[in-house]
Amino acid sequence: MAEEKQKIKMAVYWGAACGGCCVSVLDVHEALFDVVAAADLVFWPIALDTKYQDVEDMPDGFIDLTLYNGAVRNSENEHIAKLLRQKSKILVAYGSCSHMGGIPGLANFSTKEEIFDRVYHDTESTINTERVVPQPEFEVAEGVLELPVFYNDVRTLADVVEVDYFMPGCPPQTARLVEVFTAIVTGAELPPPGSVIGAGDKAQCDECSRKKTENKGVKKFYRPWEVVDDGETCFLEQGILCMGPATRTGCDFRCIQGNAPCRGCYGPTPDSTDPGAKMMSAIASVIDEKEPVAIDKVLDDLVDPAGYFYRYSLPSSYIRRKMS
Amino acid sequence: MEKKKDKIGVYICNCGTNIAKVVDAEAVARYAATLPNVHLAKTYKYMCSNPGQEMIAEDIKENDLDRVVVAACSPNMHERTFRSALRMAGLNQYMLEMANIREQCSWVHKDRKAATKKAMALVSGAVQRVLKHEALESMSVDMNPSVLVIGGGIAGMTAALELADAGNFVHLVEKDDHLGGNIARVDLTAPYYYSAVDLLSERMTRTFEHKNIQVYLNSKLTELSGFVGNFAAKIQKQNGLSEDEAKAKEVAIGNVAICTGYKEFDASRVTHYGYGKLPNVITSFELENMLKSGKVETKEGKIPKYVAIVHCVGSRNKEFHTYCSRVCCMTALKYAHEIKSANPECYVSDVYIDMNAFGKGHEDFYRQSSKAKTLFLMYDKENRPVIHKAGPKDDCEMLIEVHERLSGEHIEIPADLVVLMVGMEARDDSHEIAHLTNISQDKDGWFIESHPKLEPVATTTDGVFIAGTCVAPKDIPDTVAQARAAAARILARISKGKIEIDAVFAEVNEDVCSGCRICNVMCPYSAIEFDEEKKKSHVISALCKACGVCVAACPSGAIKGRHFTDQQILAQIEGIFSKVEYSEPAEVS
Repeated sequence: MAEEKQKIKMAVYWGAACGGCCVSVLDVHEALFDVVAAADLVFWPIALDTKYQDVEDMPDGFIDLTLYNGAVRNSENEHIAKLLRQKSKILVAYGSCSHMGGIPGLANFSTKEEIFDRVYHDTESTINTERVVPQPEFEVAEGVLELPVFYNDVRTLADVVEVDYFMPGCPPQTARLVEVFTAIVTGAELPPPGSVIGAGDKAQCDECSRKKTENKGVKKFYRPWEVVDDGETCFLEQGILCMGPATRTGCDFRCIQGNAPCRGCYGPTPDSTDPGAKMMSAIASVIDEKEPVAIDKVLDDLVDPAGYFYRYSLPSSYIRRKMS
Repeated sequence: MEKKKDKIGVYICNCGTNIAKVVDAEAVARYAATLPNVHLAKTYKYMCSNPGQEMIAEDIKENDLDRVVVAACSPNMHERTFRSALRMAGLNQYMLEMANIREQCSWVHKDRKAATKKAMALVSGAVQRVLKHEALESMSVDMNPSVLVIGGGIAGMTAALELADAGNFVHLVEKDDHLGGNIARVDLTAPYYYSAVDLLSERMTRTFEHKNIQVYLNSKLTELSGFVGNFAAKIQKQNGLSEDEAKAKEVAIGNVAICTGYKEFDASRVTHYGYGKLPNVITSFELENMLKSGKVETKEGKIPKYVAIVHCVGSRNKEFHTYCSRVCCMTALKYAHEIKSANPECYVSDVYIDMNAFGKGHEDFYRQSSKAKTLFLMYDKENRPVIHKAGPKDDCEMLIEVHERLSGEHIEIPADLVVLMVGMEARDDSHEIAHLTNISQDKDGWFIESHPKLEPVATTTDGVFIAGTCVAPKDIPDTVAQARAAAARILARISKGKIEIDAVFAEVNEDVCSGCRICNVMCPYSAIEFDEEKKKSHVISALCKACGVCVAACPSGAIKGRHFTDQQILAQIEGIFSKVEYSEPAEVS
């Protein structure tokens, strides 16, 4: 077979992200050589010195595969999302932030003003007597300087552009990326657009090796450091919140294998749209108290419930944000 | 696959004036016609009437409608009616959604404009929801013809004989050591002076001897599992002597008739009647005993010169029971008559609140009795008479102080014997029965019918029926009628052989269930089982009552409440929040 295979063109971009998703791509380690053999990386800000202008100069549909990680927090994220959509055949929302809003999405529990006040004025280490805050445009002698506009809402990639596939995870497991990448470069049949790829269809409990019984009744919630975990019993049955029952498989229950409860980064199972609401509803069901006062007391032990249940999914949930 | 049409017909009921007097039904119809997929929207005076139903069925056929919204009363009232209209037209009955614009709109609002807008919003929600409806098929299961009857009083025996005579096996459980219930404690019955023994004895003999009836005396139901058509009941003999008797007997049955009766009100709870302290203050049941023995006398063995009968003891009063016990008024008149006929010299006074004589022949009985020189004294229900011991100079045992309402005077009457007409109350163990058979009780402890007017002997648990005074106080004819009604309901189902089970139930998508087991203990009907091998939960659909507890508890969305899916509910919410406009037409005089 001397016929040389056509290399695919691939881009990786980060919106409002921590960089972990890009690192997960790098985590393919020596397989990176295989990736490079099969794909030309045409745009990847964390690793390559390409410019936005280079992307704008590409013809539409030039890029075969774009992995967009990070949420859409500002006008720059949105602009590049739209640009990459235009230039890409397959656009993948890569990782929890582009999939559901992720950790940056928790900022939707605050308004833009509250965030600016805190960050630029109120933090204990800030002295900002002139009360300077970022401006989208600022005139200097040399001309007008621009900064991206900071939006009030954090949005998911799908809120801004049409997304072909969603690859969940914070970050997605590198092994899953290799599977997906291999499928695309080998021309395997791809699932219908809009599908979640690189993840299973069931909740974590399906794979989780911990012992599960029907005794889910909870009289007190504990944080993980408050109990001596026996390493075997279902976290919920020990009173430790675990998002596993509401979260897709795909990570090989890594957190749980590390004796930490699932945090829910892989997002909801196919038949559920709002994992936070689903999990709250499930937790409400297992509280083993009848009287309102006693129930309140159990709930008091849940530290930051909104942040817990919606840790990765607030912008994609029904509630979307705190109403101001 | 047939092309999806999604043509909706919307029907707005005026309910006479029930809806139309507050909601502008015509405006709601005009609005509905503008909604997407709505092919036609009509109003009608009584949509539930035959012409109304026929109109819907005709429209479905002529216009090829495949979904229907009826904006009328509560679906509890008429969902079945309209489902049958859909079936009549060959449409799957679950392609119907009702918008409740009566109970939830016209009956609770006065502002015509706001009520009309609300009705529009409800219709919009129903239209959005019905678009998400799926055609569902009901299931059918075999009906076990054996029946469990709980209670061996007149109701229980009547039901048991009715069922057994029709060829079905009956397990009759009675907690006492004899059959007959409360009627066995009565001498003669009002208003025709039939002997209670005569009413009972033939039935008792037949019940004991019937080849299709097994009587369990001194026994109780201790467990009921399964579902309509296929229940398993455990019957436990109380204080069983032998080892064999101590073991609960398990029987397979298809239906249950609960005929557990009532208990008499404890007269000592009314402190100023002195029951338990004054020896000659007795209850109506104690008088029945005297009448049976043929001697009405005081504790001291004297023939009473003055007898007072006090009505509504424990009944029709905020402190005890607010309801009327229904049988005491006529029984009291019967006592007056019996005492008078035995001893014409006796002065009988009848101290009452109102004379309730609503039954067949009762008014005539009242008229006759009032001729019998009985002194009738009316008291206020919140101002009870007071009974105390008479002084040494009085020629009687006791004196009763009454604020007589008709004369407005404070009257003191003599009494040697006071008969307290004790009311009926729910039995102490009624909550046990309710719990075991999964039925509900009202605030007074009476079992609740599935519809107070239209389903008086059915309960919300399929296959469990109630009859007689465990439902509410009633007299013998009503009790017997209910017992026969319950038997008839059961016989109708037995004769069908199979039982249709509503297609609305929860189901687990096994492809999604992760076996987290959160739902396992949630189900109030024990309908969820866990398959240890597959590591998946499963809902037994025939047991499921579609309450939705497991659906809410399932964190992965693997359990779906059929006909109440997230998508259907979200669509309805979205519809309800859509913008509606309504300006009232100018007054036409």
